[in-house]
Amino acid sequence: MKHKDEKGVEVVKRRTERTGMTSRRNMLTRSIALLVLLGGSLGGVIAGGSGASAASKGSLHIYAWAGEVPATMVKAFEKATGITVTVDTATSNEAMLAKIAAGNSGYDVVEPSQYAVQELKQQKLIVPISHAKLVGFSDEGTPYQSPSYDTGDKYSLPWLTGSTGLIYNSTCTGGPVNSWSVLWNPAFTGKLYVLDNELSAYITGLQYLGFKASSTNKAEIAQATAALVAQKPLLAGYNSTNSAQLVASGQACAAEVYSGGTTAAAVATNPSVVHYILPHAGGTIWVDSWSIVKGSKNVSNAYKWLNFALQPKNAASAAISAQEATTNHAAYKYIPAKDLNNSAIYTPLASAATADFILDPGSALTYFNSGWLQVQAG
Amino acid sequence: MTTLSQTPVAQGLGQGKRAVLRRIESRIVDGAIGGVSVVAFLFLYVPIVALIIFSFDRSPLSSSWTGFTWGWYTTLFHDTFLIGALKVSLIVAVSSAVVSTVMALMSAVVLSRLAFKGKRAFMAMLFLPLLVPEIVLSVAIITMMSRLGLSLGYGSLIAGHIVLTLPYGTLLLFGAATRLDPSLEEAATDLGCNAFSAFMRVIFPLLLPAVFASLLLSFTISFTDVVMSNFASGVGTTTLPVYVYGLLKTGISPEINALGTLLVVGTLVIVGIIGMRQLVSIMAGQSGRGKAGPVELAELNAESN
Repeated sequence: MKHKDEKGVEVVKRRTERTGMTSRRNMLTRSIALLVLLGGSLGGVIAGGSGASAASKGSLHIYAWAGEVPATMVKAFEKATGITVTVDTATSNEAMLAKIAAGNSGYDVVEPSQYAVQELKQQKLIVPISHAKLVGFSDEGTPYQSPSYDTGDKYSLPWLTGSTGLIYNSTCTGGPVNSWSVLWNPAFTGKLYVLDNELSAYITGLQYLGFKASSTNKAEIAQATAALVAQKPLLAGYNSTNSAQLVASGQACAAEVYSGGTTAAAVATNPSVVHYILPHAGGTIWVDSWSIVKGSKNVSNAYKWLNFALQPKNAASAAISAQEATTNHAAYKYIPAKDLNNSAIYTPLASAATADFILDPGSALTYFNSGWLQVQAG
Repeated sequence: MTTLSQTPVAQGLGQGKRAVLRRIESRIVDGAIGGVSVVAFLFLYVPIVALIIFSFDRSPLSSSWTGFTWGWYTTLFHDTFLIGALKVSLIVAVSSAVVSTVMALMSAVVLSRLAFKGKRAFMAMLFLPLLVPEIVLSVAIITMMSRLGLSLGYGSLIAGHIVLTLPYGTLLLFGAATRLDPSLEEAATDLGCNAFSAFMRVIFPLLLPAVFASLLLSFTISFTDVVMSNFASGVGTTTLPVYVYGLLKTGISPEINALGTLLVVGTLVIVGIIGMRQLVSIMAGQSGRGKAGPVELAELNAESN
């Protein structure tokens, strides 16, 4: 017994030595080779990352919201101009500000929303746009004409727009709804949603009480906080992702939502039951615009991009693919009727005119922050 | 053996009763554990199954089933931004996993066998990034790059991800390295190895399963990261999670469900091919530590290649 055991061990050992050793050595050389290879490529990437890829006609680096620049438009621009374009995705205006403020961002064109335009302008991170170099820019007669956050369109050219409003299911509410007060109606307890975003949630509170959504008044914000605290037990939750779908399927009755995208799709599935409105208190509208980053190394290419974006066909293609509204009225003739008639995309101008712009609350942000903490704790 | 054969019959009967009771008890416990694990698995996998089902749903709203379609997969493969973001994510995840695993291996080997002044402080510093909120680390990276006048891009992104993954890799490899028998290295030296060849021929092969585990873990952390990538990325380096997160603004289309399905399937395949074997061997090594001698471990390694 003992003797056999020892032999067995010996056999195992020898096998390991023969097969194990060679394969291990192979493995070592392989992994070292891999490391060297990766190290090399990493070095190359770090060295090359900062420099622009040298194309014949130069390059252009765009930092925009996901979905608001269609790939087909980028390709068409590259084909028409020979410029190599990179497009990166912004997740929030705040992240965009942080990155541009850090300097050396490498971006030429950014797409901030209205209050981010204000902020970038104040911090001198974007440069004035020379209207002499633009072809076909006109926003006359639109609500976006010379907006309050950037009078004279000096620093930003409006691109796409949308609103923050109310979606409701009329089967569930039992009739038309025209005010934020539906979000305080105890009859719909557990079937209401509000956007999971501090300033967006305050839109409902402030406008419900008859104040402006862009209020910076401490007392008004405090009252809105109390209203939001009172509203919270009635809500199914704060939701920024799928409340429009829940309203469309009847699992929810009404919700505060952003227009466009899935909200538009939800309305389109059943337009006689699912409605999107700007409440009579106004709702709010947002505008994403093009701006040129200070220190851009490709300014002339940036103007080429702006002019390309101003062409009605291109503006329309972006609006159709994003399912948001173009700010360019000349582009309307290229937009399909089903989009133009969808109130969750093209909010009737009359109601858009009474809507507030969400602006940078400045120092009033502390009132919102502390109030929102109370709401969350309550 | 001897005690059992000497037990009186009466006592044996009592033991039999107790054994029955014990069996019933253990059956109840087993049943409860089984029930809990079923619920746990449902909790883990129902959302994934829903994701896979809705990736084939014709409706652009993922709330009701309207019909079968491959359309979202077609859209997915034509989405050049998404494919580009996937490419960036893969480059960054592979690079940061390899670099942080190499760094973790070196520090783990040194820390597990050398005693030096300030070792504790050094280790605490290694693991500190685990405790610091990721957003703080991200802002630190972006500030540092801006102070140094460097632009954001692959460099900052990979550096940021190494900061995130290094502590995990070091913890894993440090654990594996301290469990190694120090006499193995001594034996190798006695048999004519110098320090380097002892490492290459004895220590490294024994640590190989842990190295693979560290690679996989680091890859996963990097590949799924949003916060750090959001700040540390620059021109042309939008990662996949950042792109998907950005899509939230207009609402997520079922195209993302299709992407999620492909990632789940891809992960299953990868885990099935390499991960499982390595993980099993590590788990076996951990639980049966001491029993699994170096020869068996070496064999495991040899086999897994």
